[in-house]
Amino acid sequence: MSQDNPTIALAGNPNVGKTTLFNALTGSHQTVGNWPGVTVERKEGFFIHNGRCYEVIDLPGIYSLAAGSPDELVARNYLVQKKPDLVINIVDASNLERNLYLTLQLMELKVPLLIVFSMLDIAEQNGVEIDFDHLKSHLDCPIQPLTLCRRFDPSQLFQDIDACLAKAPVPISPRYDEVVEKHLHNLHNFLLQQRDDSAWPEAWRKLPLDWVALKLLERDPYFHAELPQAWFDPVDREIRGLEKHRNQAAATALADDRYGFIRGLVKDVVRHKTKPGATFSDRLDRVALSSLWGLPVFFAVMYLVFLLAVQASEPLIGWIENGLNWLLVDQWGALLRSWNIPGWLSYLLSNALGGGIATIATFIPPIFFIFLCLSLLEDSGYMARAAFIADRFMRRVGLPGKAFIPLLVGFGCTVPAIMATRTLESRRDRVFASLLTPFMSCGAKLPVYTYLGMLFFPGRADLAVFGLYFFGVVMGLLFALALKKTLFKTQPGNFVMELPPYHLPTINAIGMHTWHRLKDFILRAGKTILLVTVAVNILQALTLPVKGGQASVLELAGKLLTPLMKPMGIVAENWQATVALISGLFAKEAIVGTLQSLYPDPSVIPSAFGGSSSGIAFLIFVLLYSPCAASLAALNKEHGWRWSLFSFFYLTLLAWIVATVAYQILAFNRLSWLWLGLCALLVVAFGASLKLIGRKNAI
Amino acid sequence: MLSKRDRVRLRQFGRRFGSRPKTCHCHSGDCISLADLEPGVEALITCNNDLKTIERGLYHGKRVMVQRNESGEPNLVVAVGDARYVLDRRVARMIRVRVV
Repeated sequence: MSQDNPTIALAGNPNVGKTTLFNALTGSHQTVGNWPGVTVERKEGFFIHNGRCYEVIDLPGIYSLAAGSPDELVARNYLVQKKPDLVINIVDASNLERNLYLTLQLMELKVPLLIVFSMLDIAEQNGVEIDFDHLKSHLDCPIQPLTLCRRFDPSQLFQDIDACLAKAPVPISPRYDEVVEKHLHNLHNFLLQQRDDSAWPEAWRKLPLDWVALKLLERDPYFHAELPQAWFDPVDREIRGLEKHRNQAAATALADDRYGFIRGLVKDVVRHKTKPGATFSDRLDRVALSSLWGLPVFFAVMYLVFLLAVQASEPLIGWIENGLNWLLVDQWGALLRSWNIPGWLSYLLSNALGGGIATIATFIPPIFFIFLCLSLLEDSGYMARAAFIADRFMRRVGLPGKAFIPLLVGFGCTVPAIMATRTLESRRDRVFASLLTPFMSCGAKLPVYTYLGMLFFPGRADLAVFGLYFFGVVMGLLFALALKKTLFKTQPGNFVMELPPYHLPTINAIGMHTWHRLKDFILRAGKTILLVTVAVNILQALTLPVKGGQASVLELAGKLLTPLMKPMGIVAENWQATVALISGLFAKEAIVGTLQSLYPDPSVIPSAFGGSSSGIAFLIFVLLYSPCAASLAALNKEHGWRWSLFSFFYLTLLAWIVATVAYQILAFNRLSWLWLGLCALLVVAFGASLKLIGRKNAI
Repeated sequence: MLSKRDRVRLRQFGRRFGSRPKTCHCHSGDCISLADLEPGVEALITCNNDLKTIERGLYHGKRVMVQRNESGEPNLVVAVGDARYVLDRRVARMIRVRVV
């Protein structure tokens, strides 16, 4: 135990005010990262009281320590391996029974425990009265009622924390049914005899023996995986004995018994002043979840999110881009040149690096507003309702309703959208949703659509942009159906989700939430985007000798690949379009920048493309082809390089097929039948390859 | 002659067509699945073997009320004490209840 620098873990159910307490304790002294090996958010911070530094860990919101989800496993592993000096269990007073289930499991683990009660005002509104002194005497551990949503005075909590750290309170263990106790006792005795055996698993050495016996009786897969072969029979005998007697699985029998204990406890200490009736949230849900109003409300909210992200960020992007380009490219470049440093270094530092930073900065406004809206929706409680409404139509394409949220984020940026798939429970759903996010046109594609839309369809650019967004969604649905029939044949995960009560989010919580997500995005994706932008600039600046002069490396690559683009209307003389597509692989908005630098006079672009039909095919290709390097990097990090490669090749092939079909139909000639026939063959091959991959690697 | 698989399909179709609530095999017969409850009806849970929902408070003996249950929708909304849950119909079908 490190009493000089004590560690405090915050544990509790989701939506009980755990993060509010964490923010109140640590203020701005917090960092957000990931737990090692998994994609579960890790929050840690510190506070100083009486000259002593206390480290605080905000564990993920969990319902139990059964390790049925990555969140539960992370929380359990932290508690048993790191052994914090104190665990503060936050309990929602308005939902006592369910919250005490986790408390009971923490008590079984014999960790030093301090119980903090939150949501007292909601409990009071619901007519619930809790006798805390009586509860304290039953649980034999310190209890602190707090109203976390108001400005609370932490001094009493600090006193309790110090008292608990001075004399670690070890709570009592609940008693189970007589038969369960008998089997637990037998297992305990068996383990006691084996304790000195060399086969005793190393991971169990620090754990209380009672808890190991309990986990073995529950058939916990992580404990059974460590069980030596020779011990299988005696352990299995006890489990079977219990299951035969209770006529149910041992884990559910133990869970029922825990609730039996809790029910008795709650009956003893809780008084209901009024009969529970419809709450404020129930009344709101009659509209928000109704068959008639649910969908219109849902679409109105989503439209508002989209509108705010696009409209509010648009002027900011212009200001940031102009301001930073002036400062980091023009002024900084002029300063470097005045120092007489070599031209290539000046170019690298101003145009490449300065321009790269300016590019990243233009991402920030739409992503900030998307994250702000998401935090607002999450903290107010509407996000869970949106997932419920979306589940109706998401199920048809093989995804759970929660997958709607990452897809919505995809309209802002694909990178945070892929990261947002972490909220989904099964790996199948996470991978499936990640593969669909590139179909939602991200904020970086909007300037490309607008620029080319205005050039090819002057006066009807708005319709063209809307059409492309809509076409992306339609293609996403079709691709999802194809994946559902081939790669993801299993059913989406069971949808069990709590609908938290509605409440007004606090500015502090929204600000913190948005800031952490934005910082995470800038640090993760920003690095890749910066590197890529610098690389594109270098490739554009590097020249090689060719017939009749010099050509940049990018130009040569573009000329080499242009014949492949001919079926979709990009002719050899229009190699600039291919170069733009290559630069778009690094960052989509680079397509506009590349076209602008290679075609200084934009009015020649429509004639270079040879008409609107190849313009449409080009825009469709931009919409559907491989996600940018940052998104591929995110995909690689979240799901592995295989899915990254899959996304790159399949989406590029799909984009080529659809763009070619679109061009050949719009500019129909004698050769079109040939190309359309080839596309049909490719579609068959596309489906067959998906089926083949699905046979071997179906999730 | 129908294959075994088709016979099962036909039987399932018949059950759906008749829309008769299935009776509980493990109890006296007056139990139905939670998915068959009408909105606004309160019931006691008589059998639940799904650990995930037990952990969320849907344990044997708990009173639940269905708030929303529309045919054709994949989920239903249930009230358990002061908590509200969206339950997958597949999960709700496994939970047996007795109307109070």
